[in-house]
Order: sequence, then structure tokens, then C-alpha cells
Amino acid sequence: MMKIIQKTGLAFILMLSLSMAALTAPKIYALKVDGLACPFCAFGIEKRLGKIAGVSRLRTDIKAGRIILTMKDGAVLDPATAKRAVKQAGFSLRALEQIRPPAQAPAKAVAKKPSL
Amino acid sequence: MRRTRSARSRSWLCRLTMIGVIIGWTTGASGAPITVTTALPVAEGEFMVREQIIFNHGDSDPKTKARERTARTIVSVLAYGVNSDLAVFAVVPYVSKSLKAGASAIGRHADGLGDMKIFGRYTLFKNNFNGGSFRIAPVAGLKIPTGNSNRRDALGRLPISVQPGSGSWDPFGGVVITYQTLDFQIDAAISYTVNTGANSTANGFKFGDVSRLDGSFQYRLWPGKLGSGTPGFLYGVLEANLVHQQNNHVNGIEDAGSGGTRLFLVPGLQYVTRRWIAEAAIQLPVMQNLNGMALRDHYTARAGLRFNF
Repeated sequence: MMKIIQKTGLAFILMLSLSMAALTAPKIYALKVDGLACPFCAFGIEKRLGKIAGVSRLRTDIKAGRIILTMKDGAVLDPATAKRAVKQAGFSLRALEQIRPPAQAPAKAVAKKPSL
Repeated sequence: MRRTRSARSRSWLCRLTMIGVIIGWTTGASGAPITVTTALPVAEGEFMVREQIIFNHGDSDPKTKARERTARTIVSVLAYGVNSDLAVFAVVPYVSKSLKAGASAIGRHADGLGDMKIFGRYTLFKNNFNGGSFRIAPVAGLKIPTGNSNRRDALGRLPISVQPGSGSWDPFGGVVITYQTLDFQIDAAISYTVNTGANSTANGFKFGDVSRLDGSFQYRLWPGKLGSGTPGFLYGVLEANLVHQQNNHVNGIEDAGSGGTRLFLVPGLQYVTRRWIAEAAIQLPVMQNLNGMALRDHYTARAGLRFNF
């Protein structure tokens, strides 16, 4: 009986910690921006978005016209603030969505060069 | 003798005024054109800096080299985004001008701070779309006589063409249109400069007004295919400048031996990253329809850097 209680308790603690981790994990957003067509311009928009409170990381994919924005733990991106920042940089925000962080890719095995 | 010197001086003026105008219009801090400005935005509250070195060489006759001129200029440009549509620019040139004239090759030289320019650019129309933008932006500004226009050497007062400054407050305005995609960019600009001669120390001298039509085409050479992220872009650049200067005036009298029309072609290369741009181009005259004894351009070489802060 004690063993069942112990196992149930452990399972509960594990589920609770997983839920807490999911809740506090940094939120990631994808911003689809119109007007983005050169690297120098991309930096202008990154500067404006980087000034939003809670933003920890930005990555621009210029071909897709998409900016991946990672917030600090617990911070949330306000869509109106994001739209204003994009406009201040001279561009237009077409769409904003929260995305899941990509699953951790397994480390690739690196083939060693044969020594000569 | 005096008349000859005066004529030489005036022909020089024509050339160096054009150099000044070219410098003044090469202030696009945001995009790719080299001798033309652009309508691309400067983000609100952000600064950009551009540094450009310009070397210009010309003479009266390539065979006799009776008059030979060189002008070296370092142009510093500071751009600031007031808001997403309005950007203001300050252009500060440092000039070094030399003129050799006559069989004895007497040299006159001056260097120092040139005439500063300030101007604003307002985006009147913009259409941002996926992977590109189309914009129309009027530009208006003023050239301020910050350069010394009363320099002297052992021979007396330097010809006005060798003076670092013009001594006049000159307004200018124009419109720039930009169409940008991920693969290429086109900029076109039309502008007019009113050379006033006001407060000039040049004894009643007034440069002729300058009108110009500029075009720029930039094509992404590398990377050929875009992957993810934001790689640096290498652009091949081809620009054209059509510049017309009206006759100068001396004591209110029009000088028929001054002014004229020039057409330049400007091939160049430009490497654009997120934080900086490096560029080089050579401005070659393909047509010079000049009045009187105006000096003819050989080439103008340019190299520069732009920084995002």
C-alpha cells in the first residue's frame, strides 16, 4: 500500500514539475513582416523589436520575411506593441502567432576524417 | 591675363559645384544606391552613419594638361529617424582641392571643412509587400556655408573653385522613388538646387542652378539562392547621373562660358550586412556637353562604409 502511495506521489510531483516548466518556458512568436528585403533594413526592425520589454532573442529569416522572437521566462508579447514596433521601423506587420519551440534535435554524429 | 584667370576660375567652379552637388545627393543611409539617395526607411529613434571617400580628377585637355584638378573629399553623413516616415540627415564634407594651371604648373591648394548640408525626407507613399517595398519620398534641404570661402595663399585670394566653401545658402529639393525586392532594387531621383550666391564672399559670384536626374539598379549577385537567416548580400550596382548646370552669374551678368550637361555611368559593388555596408564605385563620364572652357571630368572614384547603430 505504501509503495502505491509513494509511486502516485512521485508521478504527481513529476507531472506538476512538467506543467510548471511548460508554464514558465519562454514564449516564442513568429512575426510575418511585409517590406523586408535587405539585411541592413532587417537590423532596423530588430532594433525596434529588441526594445520591447521582455524580448530576449530575435532571429530574422529574410527570405520568408519572418522574425522569430523569443521572450524572457514568463514574459508575453503584446500584439499591439509588436505592431507598433514594426511600424516604427517603417514596415508592416502582416501576422503574429505564438509558436512552439522546436524540439531539441539529437546531436549529429560527426564523421571523423581519416588521418593521413 | 586677368580675364583668362577669371575664365579658368569659372570653368573650375562649374566642375567643383557639380562635385558638391554629387556629394550632397549621395546621402542615402538606408539602402543600396551609391550616388543616389533612397526612399528606404530609417527606423524611428535610430541613427545611421555613412562615411565616404571621393576622389575626383579632371583637366581641360587630356593632351596638353593645361589645367589639371584633383579634389579629395571625405563625406560624413548622420541620419536619424524622427518617425517611420520622416528622416533627417546632416552631411559634413571635408575637402582638399588642388588646381594646377599654365605652363609653369602653378599650384593652388586648399583644404578644410566644406559646406554642410541638412535635409529631411518624408515618405509620402509606401506599399510594403511580401519580400519588397515601393516608396515615394520628397526631399528638401539647405546647403549651409560652413566652409571657408575666403582662403588666401602667397598669390592672393584663391580662386573660388579651390575654396573649401561656396559662401552661399542654397536650398534644394527633389523626389526619390524606390522599388526594392529581395533580388534587386531600383531607385530613381529628380532634384533641383537653387544656388543663391547670398552672403557670398565671391564678389558677386553666383553658381548656376543645378538640376539632376539619377537612377540606380542593384542586383543581388551573391548568395544566388537565399536560405534561412539573414546572410550578407553582394550587389552589383549600375547607376546613371544626368546633371545640368545653368550659367553662372558674375555681378548679375550671365557667363555664357559656364555650365553645361553631363551624363555619368557608375558601375560598382556593394556588400550589405545587418550592421554595415561596404561599397565602391567609379563614376565615369559618358557625355560632357560643356560651355566655354569648363574642365572635363576623367573619373570620380568612391569608396564608403555605412553603419547601423
